[in-house]
Amino acid sequence: MGERVCIVGGATTPFDYGATGFESIEGGAADCVREAMQDLPEFRLRDLDLMLYSHFSVHFGHQLAPEWIIHDHLGLAGLPHYRVENGGNTGGSALYAAALAVMSGHHKAVGIVGWETMDSVSQSQGSEFIALASDIRYELLVGGIYPIYYAAMANKWMKENHVTEEDVASIAAKNKNNAMDNPKAQWYRNEHRYITVDDVMKSRLIAYPIKKYDCSLMSRGVAFLIVCNEAYAKKVNPDGYVTVDGMGLSSCTIRAGDRINYPSWKERYGPGYPDMTEFAACRCSAEQAYKMAGIKDPLHQIDFGEIHDAFSTSEAQIYKALGLADGEHITQFLRDHSTHMDGQIPMNPGGGLLGYGHPVGATGLMSTIECYYQLAGMIPRKHLSTKTQVSNPECGIVNSHAGTGTSISNFILRRP
Amino acid sequence: MAESVVMEQKRRKTKYAVEPNFTEKKQFRPAGVQETGLAFVGYEVSDDRQTMNQFLHYDQLYTIRHGKNSPFFIGLLEGKIMGTRCPRCGTTWVPIRTHCWSLDCDLVETDWVEMPLTATVHTWTVAGWSGRSSLKRLPIILVYAVIGDSSVAIANELHGVKPWDVEFGMPLKVVFKPKDQRQGVITDFHFEPADGWRPGPMTAEKLRIKELVEPVYEWVKTLK
Repeated sequence: MGERVCIVGGATTPFDYGATGFESIEGGAADCVREAMQDLPEFRLRDLDLMLYSHFSVHFGHQLAPEWIIHDHLGLAGLPHYRVENGGNTGGSALYAAALAVMSGHHKAVGIVGWETMDSVSQSQGSEFIALASDIRYELLVGGIYPIYYAAMANKWMKENHVTEEDVASIAAKNKNNAMDNPKAQWYRNEHRYITVDDVMKSRLIAYPIKKYDCSLMSRGVAFLIVCNEAYAKKVNPDGYVTVDGMGLSSCTIRAGDRINYPSWKERYGPGYPDMTEFAACRCSAEQAYKMAGIKDPLHQIDFGEIHDAFSTSEAQIYKALGLADGEHITQFLRDHSTHMDGQIPMNPGGGLLGYGHPVGATGLMSTIECYYQLAGMIPRKHLSTKTQVSNPECGIVNSHAGTGTSISNFILRRP
Repeated sequence: MAESVVMEQKRRKTKYAVEPNFTEKKQFRPAGVQETGLAFVGYEVSDDRQTMNQFLHYDQLYTIRHGKNSPFFIGLLEGKIMGTRCPRCGTTWVPIRTHCWSLDCDLVETDWVEMPLTATVHTWTVAGWSGRSSLKRLPIILVYAVIGDSSVAIANELHGVKPWDVEFGMPLKVVFKPKDQRQGVITDFHFEPADGWRPGPMTAEKLRIKELVEPVYEWVKTLK
C-alpha cells in the first residue's frame, strides 16, 4: 500500500433549483474554496498539485470542457487538471481518482471541484437529459427516464423482500426532515417543511411504487473537496483530518434488463444474482472497501453513512447491498428505523440526495463532505443544531451510485 | 516522404474504404422544427439589476450510425424482432449483442436469428411522470420482458390493459405499428397481453395503483 489518503476540508454552495439558484459555476467554485479556506486557515490553493473536476452532463450548461472556465478562474493555470465523468457516480469516481493520485505518491494535495446546473432547462427536459445516460437506442424512447427504470427494479425487489411503500416512505421522510437542520440543503431552502410517511404516500405518482417525495431533487450546486497525503494533512489540519481507509469501485450493465443472466456476475455470486433487483456493483465495491479497511461486520463497525438515495427505494436496496441486513431481516431493519438519527446506523444525516439535493457532479462530493464534517466534529458549525450530529462517530461510509446501478463506489472514512 | 509515394497514396485513397449507398431514405422531422444551431434568444435582469439570466436555444440533427447493430433496426421496419445468438455458447439476446458477452467466447461475432413475437413480463412499473417527449402519453405501463429464449429483458410499453392489471410473469405478444408508420426505432412495437389472457381479480395493490393513476389521466388532459 502506498501513501495514506486523507481528507482535510471541503464545502458546498447551497443546493438550489430555479428561482433561488443564480450563481455561475466559477463563482460557485470560488465560494466553496473560500469557505474551505475559512475552515482551514493553513490551506493555500497554491499547495495543490492536481485539480480534478467532477461534472456529469455538458448538456446542462451547453459548454464543453466547462472545467477549463473554473480552473482558470481559480488562478490555477499551469496546474495539471482533468475532468472525471461517470454518471451519478461522477463524484465518487473523482474521489477514487484523487485517492489513487495521492496513494501512488505522485501527488500530495488534490483539489476536486464538482457541479451540475440542472435548472438551466425545464424539469422534464432535465429528466430527459439525465436519461441520455441510458441506452438511447433502446430505453429513452419507451417513456424511459431514470425514476421509471428504478421503479421497475424496486417494484420487484420490494415484493421479493416484503418491503412496503410505507417502509421506503419512512426513508424519504427521514432524509427530507434531516435536511431541515441543514441550511445548505435544497429541501430546507425551497419546500422547507417537515413531512410524514403519509405525506410521501399522498404525493403524486412518478412511477409505481415511487412517488414525488420518494425522489431526490434536481439541483444547481457546486462542491469542493481537498484530498491529500498524511504529511500534508498533519501540516494543515492536525486535529481535524480524516483518513480514507477503504475504497471500492465496481460496474454493472447500462440497461437493467441485461443483468439477469450476466456471466461475470454468475461467476462471482452464482446464478440468479443480481436479477434486476440487487445493486451488484454496490455489493462488489463495498466488499473491496471493507476488505481494505478491515471491516468484517459493517453494521457494527460502521457508525453512519452518507449514501446515494436517488430514490427512497434505492436507499433501502443499498442497505442490503452494503450488507447491513439480508433479505430475511431487511423489513425489520427498516421498521426498527435503524438508519434514523437515533437508530443503530444513521444514514444521510446531512439530508442525502432526497433532502440536500442532487446536482450530479457535486453529489458524491457533498456526501463525502458531510461524512467528513461528522467525523471532524464540525456539524455544530455546519448544521443548524446538533440533532443531526452522529454521536461520537469513528467510522463512516460514503456511497456514490450511477445509471441503473451501472457504476457504484464506496469509501470508508475514519478518524485517524 | 518521396513525392512519388505521396502521389501514389493520393491516387489510391478512394480504395481504402467503401461508402455504402443509401437509396432508401425517410425523414420524419415534424414541420416547424428547424436546425437553427446555437443562438442567444433573450435575457432577463432582476429588478435590483444585480442578477442576469440569459436564454440559449440549440437545435441540431444527429446521425446515429447503427453499424453492426443495423439488422435489428432494419428488422423493426420489416415487423420482425431480430435477436443474436452466440455460435459457441448458444446464448441469445434481445436487445442484441453483436459479440458474445462471455469472457470465454473471446468476443466472437454472433449470428442473427428471428425471434418469436411472444414474451413474458419480468418486472413492470406504471409511470405517472416522464421525459418531455413522453408526457402526453401518460400513464405509461413500462415492462421489462423476455422475448422468446432471450437471456436478457427488454424494456417497452405495455398497451391494451388497465395500468393496475399488469402482472409479473404475464404472457405478452409483440405488436408492431402499421408498416407505413414504422421508423426503425424501438417504439415501432409495443407489448400487449397474449391472446386469451384475462386480468386477475381486484386486489388491495391494484386499488392502490388505481388511486395513484387516476389523477394522472386528469393531469394529462390539462397539457397543451
